[in-house]
Amino acid sequence: MATKAARIGEEVWKSRVDKINAEVVTLTYGTIVAQLCRDLTVPNTINKTDYNAVNKELDRMGYNMGLRLIEDFLAKTGTGQCSNFRETAEMISKVGFKVFINITPNVSNWSKDSDSFHLVFEENPLADFVELPDDGRAQDELWYSNILCGVIRGAMEMVQMQIEARFVSDVLRGDDTTEMRVTLIRIIEDEMPPDDE
Amino acid sequence: MDSRSPSVACIGFIGRHNNPLHISLFPASGTGYESERNKLEYSFMLNSCLDIFEARMPTKGLTQDFGLLHALDERIAMYGWVTNTGVKIVVVVDMEGVPAEGARVTAGLGLRNSDLTPAFHALQTTYIRLLRNPFYVPDHHNPKLSKGTGSLQITSPRFIRDVERIGKTWYPGIGTM
Repeated sequence: MATKAARIGEEVWKSRVDKINAEVVTLTYGTIVAQLCRDLTVPNTINKTDYNAVNKELDRMGYNMGLRLIEDFLAKTGTGQCSNFRETAEMISKVGFKVFINITPNVSNWSKDSDSFHLVFEENPLADFVELPDDGRAQDELWYSNILCGVIRGAMEMVQMQIEARFVSDVLRGDDTTEMRVTLIRIIEDEMPPDDE
Repeated sequence: MDSRSPSVACIGFIGRHNNPLHISLFPASGTGYESERNKLEYSFMLNSCLDIFEARMPTKGLTQDFGLLHALDERIAMYGWVTNTGVKIVVVVDMEGVPAEGARVTAGLGLRNSDLTPAFHALQTTYIRLLRNPFYVPDHHNPKLSKGTGSLQITSPRFIRDVERIGKTWYPGIGTM
């Protein structure tokens, strides 16, 4: 099952995807984060960045991206519905990330009831050459690649799954690995609109 | 008297508006030669190089290897490199910086300009890496544009570490760094 997802991902990446220079993406994303750090400051101060607000804003931007990316993803890969959360995890890591940024994070650390897992990023093209600012707080408060959490959350919501994604470690902060924890909150059932009568 | 071999004494990065971006000093080693380099003295030396850059500034705007800028005395010589954005890199070499041993045993005939080229390439790569960090804002280090006071030098720890590594490991005849 894992190899089938990997094969789909590889095949779609090779044939059906337009490519863009990776440095352009890295620099654009870096500029976005740096600009957010300059714009979102703690109230009543001038230069003190509110890193929690930056994290939330990146998550919100990612959410909006994810809502749209899922359509593109489903059209390109033509995959059907996943039967369980484990299959979803494989699809996200081997096909989703592969098709859009050509990386395949590893799925690990499944919880006991199979409703949460860790994505371990060996390489993160968004964070190439980045050094977090030296003001003593960025190292502890900023999740630089938080847009990825938003993307997964937005994409999953469009396929009826409410999930929570957040980073637990980041090499930019000095940790050994970059890991994201994805937890399934609930499956969203279609709700009937309120009766007109 | 032990034979000595050249080593890097100082590396300086000077910005487009002749503002100092970074200065790294490397003390000489070996018995009888150890002494801390005087930062002020080396600041003046780098300052004096600026005139030479000014005189020979290329009109074309490509990265230029200026080679030997100036030989101060028997021991100290300065080599320079200007990038196409106007950032100047100066390497001050101490001809008797370290005892000659191991890979550093050279013919002792003096330094060629091409001996410094791997060092300059590595320094340019380090500077490019710094520029690729989105949190480094070059304008903040520019005295004409920056509104801050105090030192406008580069503070990125990784950049400083890389420059020191290059300065410490260079020897004449080294290949890629």
